[in-house]
Amino acid sequence: MDAQTLISLIKFLVPLVLALAAYNTYVVFKLKGVDPFGNWDRNKINGTLLLLFFIIGSGLAAWSTAMYKDLYILIYNPASDLGVPIDSMFWTTAILTTVAAFITNAALFYFAFAYSGSETKKALYYPENNKLEILWTIIPAVVLTILIASGISTWVKATGPSPENAREIELTGKQFEWMIRYPGKDAKFGRITWDSINDASGNTYGYHFSDPNSRDDFNPQEIHLQVGIPVKVNIRARDVLHSATLPHFRMKMDAVPGMNTSFWFTPTITTDSMRLIKGNPKFNYELACQEICGGGHWNMRRVVVIDTKQQYDEWVRSQKPTYLEMAISKKAVAITAAPTESAEGGEAKPADTEKAAPATPTAEAVKTTAPAADTKKTTPVEPKKAVDAKKATPAEAKKAAPADTKKAAETKKPAEPVKTSEKKTK
Amino acid sequence: MSDNIALHDVAHHGEHHHHSEYVKHDDHHHHEENFITKYIFSQDHKMIAKQFLLTGIFMAIVGITLSLLFRLQLAFPNTAMPFLESILGKWAPGGKLDPNFYLALVTMHGTIIVFFVLTAGLSGTFSNFLIPLQIGARDMASGFMNMLSYWFFFLSSFLMIISLFIETGPASGGWVIYPPLSALPQAMPGSGLGMTLWLVAMALFIASSLLGGINYITTVLNLRTKGMSMDRLPLTVWSFFITAIIGVLSFPVLLACALLLIFDRSFGTSFYLSDIFIGGELLHYKGGSPILFQHLFWFLGHPEVYIIILPALGISSEVISTSSRKPIFGYKAMILSMVGIMALSFIVWAHHMFVTGMNPFLGTIFMLFTLLIAIPSAVKGFNYIATMWKGNIQFTPAMLFAVGLVSLFITGGVTGIYLGNAAVDIPLHDTYFVTAHFHLVMGSAAAFGLFAGVYHWFPKMFGRMMSNKLGYIHFWGTLIGVYGVFFPMHYMGFAGMPRRYYSQDAFDFTQGFENLNVFITAMAFFSAISQLFFLFNFFRSIFFGEKAPANPWKSNTIEWTTPRLPGHGNWPGEIPTVYRWPYDYNKPGVKEDYLPQHIHPNDVVLEEGFNREDFKEHEHSH
Repeated sequence: MDAQTLISLIKFLVPLVLALAAYNTYVVFKLKGVDPFGNWDRNKINGTLLLLFFIIGSGLAAWSTAMYKDLYILIYNPASDLGVPIDSMFWTTAILTTVAAFITNAALFYFAFAYSGSETKKALYYPENNKLEILWTIIPAVVLTILIASGISTWVKATGPSPENAREIELTGKQFEWMIRYPGKDAKFGRITWDSINDASGNTYGYHFSDPNSRDDFNPQEIHLQVGIPVKVNIRARDVLHSATLPHFRMKMDAVPGMNTSFWFTPTITTDSMRLIKGNPKFNYELACQEICGGGHWNMRRVVVIDTKQQYDEWVRSQKPTYLEMAISKKAVAITAAPTESAEGGEAKPADTEKAAPATPTAEAVKTTAPAADTKKTTPVEPKKAVDAKKATPAEAKKAAPADTKKAAETKKPAEPVKTSEKKTK
Repeated sequence: MSDNIALHDVAHHGEHHHHSEYVKHDDHHHHEENFITKYIFSQDHKMIAKQFLLTGIFMAIVGITLSLLFRLQLAFPNTAMPFLESILGKWAPGGKLDPNFYLALVTMHGTIIVFFVLTAGLSGTFSNFLIPLQIGARDMASGFMNMLSYWFFFLSSFLMIISLFIETGPASGGWVIYPPLSALPQAMPGSGLGMTLWLVAMALFIASSLLGGINYITTVLNLRTKGMSMDRLPLTVWSFFITAIIGVLSFPVLLACALLLIFDRSFGTSFYLSDIFIGGELLHYKGGSPILFQHLFWFLGHPEVYIIILPALGISSEVISTSSRKPIFGYKAMILSMVGIMALSFIVWAHHMFVTGMNPFLGTIFMLFTLLIAIPSAVKGFNYIATMWKGNIQFTPAMLFAVGLVSLFITGGVTGIYLGNAAVDIPLHDTYFVTAHFHLVMGSAAAFGLFAGVYHWFPKMFGRMMSNKLGYIHFWGTLIGVYGVFFPMHYMGFAGMPRRYYSQDAFDFTQGFENLNVFITAMAFFSAISQLFFLFNFFRSIFFGEKAPANPWKSNTIEWTTPRLPGHGNWPGEIPTVYRWPYDYNKPGVKEDYLPQHIHPNDVVLEEGFNREDFKEHEHSH
């Protein structure tokens, strides 16, 4: 047991011991026949304690709220355009409700103190006052009307149609990983259907490569977006509900099997700038799952990188279409052929299909793609395995998965025959 | 006085025509009550109330224990706790909780607390106990249906508990059991037999709730004693009445919802399922919609939170007025706001679904109604505070819990204004902010209402007093504990911390709360330990408590006119006639500081120099 755990355990045991001590004290008094509360005025004591509870409690609440302020990524520094009105809506609500809750709680606890009973007191017979009732119906009604009006306008903005210049990407939730798809150079997503999904053959997306649009689609391991360019995120699910959450951008939408959902936003701060703002060189935007989806729900992380135009273009250039990757691992053949042609003669097929493909890749490019293709196969994080990894330390565990897959990828690297066939077609 | 004499009295007095059914019943059954008919298959509403209460307490112990187990995981995610393995066996290999079992704990904690403790335990106990006693009825309209209501509930609880012990574990898809996760055993182990048991248990639960609800409504409408017009009903009865109406209108929808899920699971239909590839295979489901399930579920699910909180608010109205020795402020406004909450509760459900892909236009409508529901809720809060103003507050444990309830209702209520606002809900949805919100406003506030009710009516239930001192310790431990557990969860919400995460290690943005998690878990144990004072006090007082005086809180309602331990039939003689509303505390001119409902205007002891005719006229005009 290390020191950290020991401290945690002590912190944990202290209240427990205190509670038991309080109880024991009580029992001892009881046995001795002394009544520790006997002479107390129960009304005065409890009334005073209630007021103290409110004063100390409010102080503690304010202090501890401030203590964690650096972690509150949801309420300031929004990294998207839509984050700005959402945050301002949040702050308007926060100020109004905090004031309301504080005043009403203050009245409640103060009255508890001030009007705690005694033999001499007589309560006031005051059963109703319609003016008061109307007053405190109207005040919340007015405040809420303001909140509703501005809330609706923010909501309409946030959920309206995406602008025409928006780029599109696609997220697909599955147990327990987000799959990412970019439409490639043609900016058109290729056809996919759920009944073409076949994990065994490697077609985890259900691609129909007979559709030319699909042949430049690529499936990276990170989301890259260009700062200042609106992006529409299409969201799908393969098995159960998931929810795509980009907390820094104030974006969230469920992924629903059998239904397409989406949201759009414009990232406004690059990853590099946010690192400067936060003073944290290791900062990353993250994509999480926020709808319970099974044992690995907590572990569906993807990094989101907001690039400058130059960085983004560079990154896109480095991405290789999934079609090609699968061609290399000889898997595209069966898929392309499946509906019409026989799947035999795998050696020759990649070459044929390549002719139809819009982009002719260089041999070098194909070579660099090969490991990536394999990585994808091995990446899906099995919850069990991931949990074991977590046993060590969080930091180690986080590295563990990618490291493993890299290793696996290396061993599978050689794809010589394919490479030669590519050359021939050229 | 034995029950039979009480019943004969009714038969002889027979003048309460609306009790004729009961009298007839008596004519046919002249046998002595034996152990089984008195304590087990009892048709006496008071015994049934106690059965609900005891079952509710048992379920609460289970529900709280489950939460302590997953709080341990959240506080010490990387520590092996071998004792967990000895309790949970294969669900905690090497003392580390299994992620699937973590979700099972969360799911069962939610299910048990929401339905079995705060719905059946609270409403079942106090609707049953108080409706006949406070409206002046011999029993519920149908004692037999009432008995069935309890036994359906018992069976349901039994199945739910059994599901904790089966090999694949209990339901684990969250208490909202969203399909496809809950529909497919391939998706998680808990979606196998555990889910089937959950659905069957809930079907029985719904049957129980409906049998109870119909009975409550009928009883309130038909069996009120002479003079007990609707505008003289205690607010407790009003709250139970309105709760029952909400339940009767919304629970059947949950049954339909569950039934379609059973079809999808067992008979291959596709109501909620479509386009699914899971566990390496394509499933045949086509054309269903998981969103449909959510609409049906929340059509009950949201009214359900009012089913939970309204009885608690009714109890606190009664307790605050009695203990402040003041009339409840704005009696009619209190009723109107409950009616408003009832009406609005049916048209706010989709605020749980702002980010599920539902049409955004629907979002605007539901946002509008959701925020409107804050108005009647606020009115209730203000009225409680106004009731205490210039009162002569007697801090019984019941009153302390009622004050705590109001505080929790405010603190947890205002955060609903963030979540009801669709735009603000986008980032906050399914974070710990939501957990904090509903645990304060619904969970804890309703639990406080339950405690207030038990402390207040224990003397009537068991004829003995609970210990005040233990009650104070219980209250202070619980108040501090509850705020300590749930208030800091807002902070995690501001950080976007997602709910139902087995571990918070996987993301950068969820880091930094390690100490806070330990603190919350410590507070959870502190609160749980505080409940031991209640359990001890409760069970000890049943047998060894001081004998209760006739009207220990000097209350105006007529349940205190029954004998110390009322038999079946409640009043040995005639049922008292009611002459006024129940909140005449410290009425000018009256000598005592309370004026019970059943005192005839001619018998009221007036202050010296006060003219009776003036008093009667004043009372009449009121």
